Amino acid sequence: MSMLIQVVLDGIWSGLLYGLVAAGLSLIWGVMDVLNFAHGEFLMAAMYVSFWLGFLFKLDPLVTWIAAGAFLFILSVLSYKLVVKRTMGKAMAPLLATFGLSMLIKNFAMNRFTPNFRILSDTVMDGKSIIFGEVVIPVPQFVVGIFSLVVLGALYLFLTRTRFGWAVQATAMDAEAARLMGVNTERIFLLVFGIGGACVGVAGGLLPSYLATHPDIGTLFGLIAFMVVALGGFGSIPGALLAALIIGLVESLAGFYFAPVYKYVAVFGIYLVVILVRPKGLFGW
Amino acid sequence: MKRTLLAVVAIVLLIAGAGAQDKVIKIGTLFPLTGSVATAGQRCQAAVETIVDIINGIYPDLDLPIAKKAGLLNGYKIELIKADHQGKPDVAKSEAERLYEQEGVFAVIGSYNSSASKPASAVAERLQKIFMCGASSSAALTERGLQYFFRLAPTDRIENVEFAHWIEELNKVKAAGIKTAAVIYENTEFGKHAADEAKVVSAKMGVKIVADVPFTPGATNLNSEIQKLKAARPDALFAAVLGADYSLMIRTMKQSAWKPKMAINYCGGYQDPKIAEQMGKDGWGFMGSAGYTPEFGSRFMKAVAPVEKYYKAKVGVPFDTEKVAQVLRTTTFDSPLSMGGKVQFGPDGQNIKAASVISQLQNGSYVTVYPYEFKDGDPIFPMPNW
Repeated sequence: MSMLIQVVLDGIWSGLLYGLVAAGLSLIWGVMDVLNFAHGEFLMAAMYVSFWLGFLFKLDPLVTWIAAGAFLFILSVLSYKLVVKRTMGKAMAPLLATFGLSMLIKNFAMNRFTPNFRILSDTVMDGKSIIFGEVVIPVPQFVVGIFSLVVLGALYLFLTRTRFGWAVQATAMDAEAARLMGVNTERIFLLVFGIGGACVGVAGGLLPSYLATHPDIGTLFGLIAFMVVALGGFGSIPGALLAALIIGLVESLAGFYFAPVYKYVAVFGIYLVVILVRPKGLFGW
Repeated sequence: MKRTLLAVVAIVLLIAGAGAQDKVIKIGTLFPLTGSVATAGQRCQAAVETIVDIINGIYPDLDLPIAKKAGLLNGYKIELIKADHQGKPDVAKSEAERLYEQEGVFAVIGSYNSSASKPASAVAERLQKIFMCGASSSAALTERGLQYFFRLAPTDRIENVEFAHWIEELNKVKAAGIKTAAVIYENTEFGKHAADEAKVVSAKMGVKIVADVPFTPGATNLNSEIQKLKAARPDALFAAVLGADYSLMIRTMKQSAWKPKMAINYCGGYQDPKIAEQMGKDGWGFMGSAGYTPEFGSRFMKAVAPVEKYYKAKVGVPFDTEKVAQVLRTTTFDSPLSMGGKVQFGPDGQNIKAASVISQLQNGSYVTVYPYEFKDGDPIFPMPNW
């Protein structure tokens, strides 16, 4: 029994992390119809920010997530201005452009920082865990989970309870109509892209407390984030959270009770089934 | 591993150099320069480049004939053409084709990942070109009946025999009571074969395998993997885990508050001093095989000289793959670079003199613990808890 609780909890932590990583992607897609292919690399960039601050100035990821979030906000805004804005509305163009951007970021990291794995040791949360009898709760994953809930909650409230959030929703539904109603859609796009990047920045800022940083780290996370977004319904924050939890739990349960090597098979399998049965995703419209 | 590569490259270059028509010999390197095992690939590449620099340049301070003059024999220079297979078998195949067919290299040195060496060396075989394998440990590679494939490094099978002796020794000397074991391995050519060998060897010793855990390399987490191991409560853990996955494995073990009595690693993340340094205390106590420790390295430079002299006399032949391969097949080379002290290729292309020792990471340094004639410290057993 305690094993089941352990496995379910592990699934929840992974799920919450995936949710935090995917939130920005979902927001950007929902509002702008742009699939940011560089999302995984944004995560990697944030991890490097946090790693270097930790390595050079001995700052803990518990603090540097702020810097990583801010840096990613700026990086995202620049990406929007320089890449996305010029390609939006031209069929596949934004997709290909952000794909190019992902290559650029990844190879920049490879060139500047080498492909070495970089591990932050002696962080505040490093290797700590809370033990209840047989059940172990790893502190870093737990804290990332809390952050995920807070960030997703804040994002949801922001979108549904504020004037700016309504404007974002209006823009998402029909950008032209929103523009006619006096919404500055250009500003909305810019901020949405920035906020989306900042969300993944927070995730990336926290991750070096237990994950090695290297230029390839974003690839699988990026892929899972796409799945979360597609599964939850494009643009839906609660959908993303639910989908992320499903993916985390499927991964963990299949990994433990079936075979670890099939955990991603199970995850992608569920995804295929959902997409076949309900192409718009669980919460999509 | 790095030293083994140096030996590989020295031999290839010396032989190949003997008969080149023009004054440049092209040698291809095929390593994972990017991707999740890039650290190891970059180190392999650097090892090869080091010896090529020594051969091509003049290094009077080194006690080596090839260092004192530029180039080999009558001034043949080595030109390295490097290729990156990213740790992917399909890329390894196409890059090997490019190296041999388009770049026209004489031989390829590679490829770290067994899963990449396999298709790349198949290309070499088809084109009847030499493939020199330094650091791929899957025993299956030399069981394919290839004619142009030569491997210096010990295989996981050779290492396993040693692991078995070591565990029997621990059971005897330290009353270790190791009765059960678990295997965790990446689901690749390297991992699967290492795990198969571990199972064979465990059966022979009467150690029961209680968990068999393959995983997808480059995973976002190893939670279910470690939970599975923890639930099975093995005395010993065999691990075939590379690069970033290795650090993730140790971190996850620590977070799950679990440690077996002993953990022993096939070549991989454990051997990477960079990872060891970054993991700090968390990595201490783990053991693994090693093809190199500093004491052996200090004997390095003396080794290469007689090899060159030997080949100058022996191989006065044109730049011919068949003849070079013949020499490789029929000769025993001196090689204090490697633990075995000698290099001799069996009919399957495997270096039958390959050997390695078992080391344990203690207080930040790799201490050789077995076999006893090479040891420079006592094992810490069982592993201290987190």
